[in-house]
Amino acid sequence: MRLVFLFTVGISLGVIVSARAGDDADGSLAASLATLSSKLVYESYVENNWELFVCSADGADRVNLTNTSDQHELYPQVSPDGRRICFIVDQGQRRQTVRSVWVMDSDGTNRTKVADYARQPCWNPDSKTILYLPQEYEKFNIADHFTKGIVYYDVDSKTSRPHPNSDKLHHLYNPSFSANGKWIASTVHAGMGYQHAILLIEAEGPRIIDLQIGGCRPCLSSDGQRISWGENDHTIVVAELDLTAESPSIGERLFQVRDAQNKIYHSDLSPDGKFLSLSRGPEGKGDLTKPGTHEAACEMVGIYASNWDVLVIPLSLDESLDLNDAQPDDFLAVTSDGNSNKESDWFLSR
Amino acid sequence: MKIGMQMVSRSQPGGMVAFAALVALSSTSCVQRTDSSAVDVEPHPLVTASAVDMVFLPGGTFMMGSDDGDDDEQPCHQVKLSPFLIDAHEVTHQMFSSAELPNPSRWQDDPHKPVESVRWRDAKIYCNERSLLEGLEPCYDESKPGLPCNFEASGYRLPTEAEWEFACRAGSQGDYACGTSDKLKSYANYDENSGWETEPVRSRKPNRWKIFGMHGNVCEWCQDVYDPDFYQASPQRDPHGPPAPNGDAKRVIRGGSWKASARMCRSSFRQGQRTGDTDACFATDYCGFRCVRRMTLEQWNQQQQNQPSADVTKPDRMANNSS
Repeated sequence: MRLVFLFTVGISLGVIVSARAGDDADGSLAASLATLSSKLVYESYVENNWELFVCSADGADRVNLTNTSDQHELYPQVSPDGRRICFIVDQGQRRQTVRSVWVMDSDGTNRTKVADYARQPCWNPDSKTILYLPQEYEKFNIADHFTKGIVYYDVDSKTSRPHPNSDKLHHLYNPSFSANGKWIASTVHAGMGYQHAILLIEAEGPRIIDLQIGGCRPCLSSDGQRISWGENDHTIVVAELDLTAESPSIGERLFQVRDAQNKIYHSDLSPDGKFLSLSRGPEGKGDLTKPGTHEAACEMVGIYASNWDVLVIPLSLDESLDLNDAQPDDFLAVTSDGNSNKESDWFLSR
Repeated sequence: MKIGMQMVSRSQPGGMVAFAALVALSSTSCVQRTDSSAVDVEPHPLVTASAVDMVFLPGGTFMMGSDDGDDDEQPCHQVKLSPFLIDAHEVTHQMFSSAELPNPSRWQDDPHKPVESVRWRDAKIYCNERSLLEGLEPCYDESKPGLPCNFEASGYRLPTEAEWEFACRAGSQGDYACGTSDKLKSYANYDENSGWETEPVRSRKPNRWKIFGMHGNVCEWCQDVYDPDFYQASPQRDPHGPPAPNGDAKRVIRGGSWKASARMCRSSFRQGQRTGDTDACFATDYCGFRCVRRMTLEQWNQQQQNQPSADVTKPDRMANNSS
């Protein structure tokens, strides 16, 4: 096996070594990822600015999609057909920040604003409709759950409409559409009578189902049969979820990733269902010396997360993976610069 | 929208109240060496420009801590405080929402219940928002890590631990402002009577200075870093707690909560609590707060001259005032 490079993730991240393969097919994780047509998009903080980057599944061919020194792009979400990316833009500083939702082609062209005072967009499986969460108040607040209602935006007609039950939806964050378009998985915090829960919200109706799982930030798979979520700061779980049932509920737990030393967040399932991406790094509350960032828990959107990187993990492993006791090829770090690399999203390259 | 700085007092005109006669002294070792002027404090209830009930406390000397309490409450020591204003009750959902902040609370079924599950940092942000609403200089510098506090600013901030205990004791010397624990149920929402949730502020009796809920309902964030040994070296005049170390430090919470025992609701009981500032899902459903604001006697007197005493009691707010 010819190694192009070998790197160690810093001591603060634990004893972890990963390898990336070269051009020859050698059976390594990196080699198998290099053959995928899927790519990753993620946010990164470079040269005092948040930008969106695209790379191959093995971390190669990294491209800065945004390159805007006066705007901070974050939270990218690629349409299921791979043609467009919706994301948020922060402009201004601290309490004067205006957060807005935008959409662009997946090559970074044709940027269009969707809405101001809005956040955390995701795509309907039709690849034409963006769901976003309006802010609770126009005045900026960094809290994830600073939202009120759900709005659907039609990319072609550029028109918006509220979710039919929007008035009753409060303090949601991190929504994810189901593959059949019938449900939205979302976290709720201190809203709608819940202290903290992961919910299924009927996309065009009033039904709300508490999935009865602890944690936050659910991600529904493209095949509509699985869900991943952060069970706590140090655990991400993948489980079965039958979204065709009258009352969907969580099924068997299929896989679990643990990292006792670092936080792990922002899970995303690859289109073929074979890989999981996530962000990992030490606990922190940001760095206010960096423009366009805020002070809060570093996993939150807009908080500089020092030494955070994006990892890819094959789901063909055994039922669990301890990142502090991992072997080479148990995972691949697709970024290694620690520049607050977060919120990765898989997509099929066109 | 800025609101003017006017304040109106609803104390009785010229009504000097002899609180000393009301003080029930206990026989703790701390009391025996008391040199306290707190018993002579004349509190002045008022309503701020943003319609918040507060009490002006013209400062004084009191004995802080307890020689009979936990190790971190010892030694009981004399503290002298400058005048300040303190909220007459804990910050409620209604108050928090008026600042257009995301309410993190578990029990939001009544707008007059106190906010809880509030991170230390978010409590400070609320203080700044309220300051800006009233045209005051914010105390917390949001441009710097940890939001350092400018104690000289005119705006709202969290109370120091000493200010909190001074206001809680209201001139009393024992474990509770109401005297003994058998009376606590009339004054506090705690584990023996809470039904395991918060209750609207003003649901029970206030202390002698007309301050509600200092015992129980929600624990209240203070400004100070928690150091169990701090009383052994605490400054006597306006102590602000130990300096903040690098990284996150536990901060003081006081007063006990809906889930606390009577013992934890004591006036001198101290707790250190992680701030929650690095926890995106902070859900510690007993952490609330109230605000204070510096005001000198000269400023108070001038305020009184500019705004003659007037009763602006709001019936809806006072309806459940069981004092």
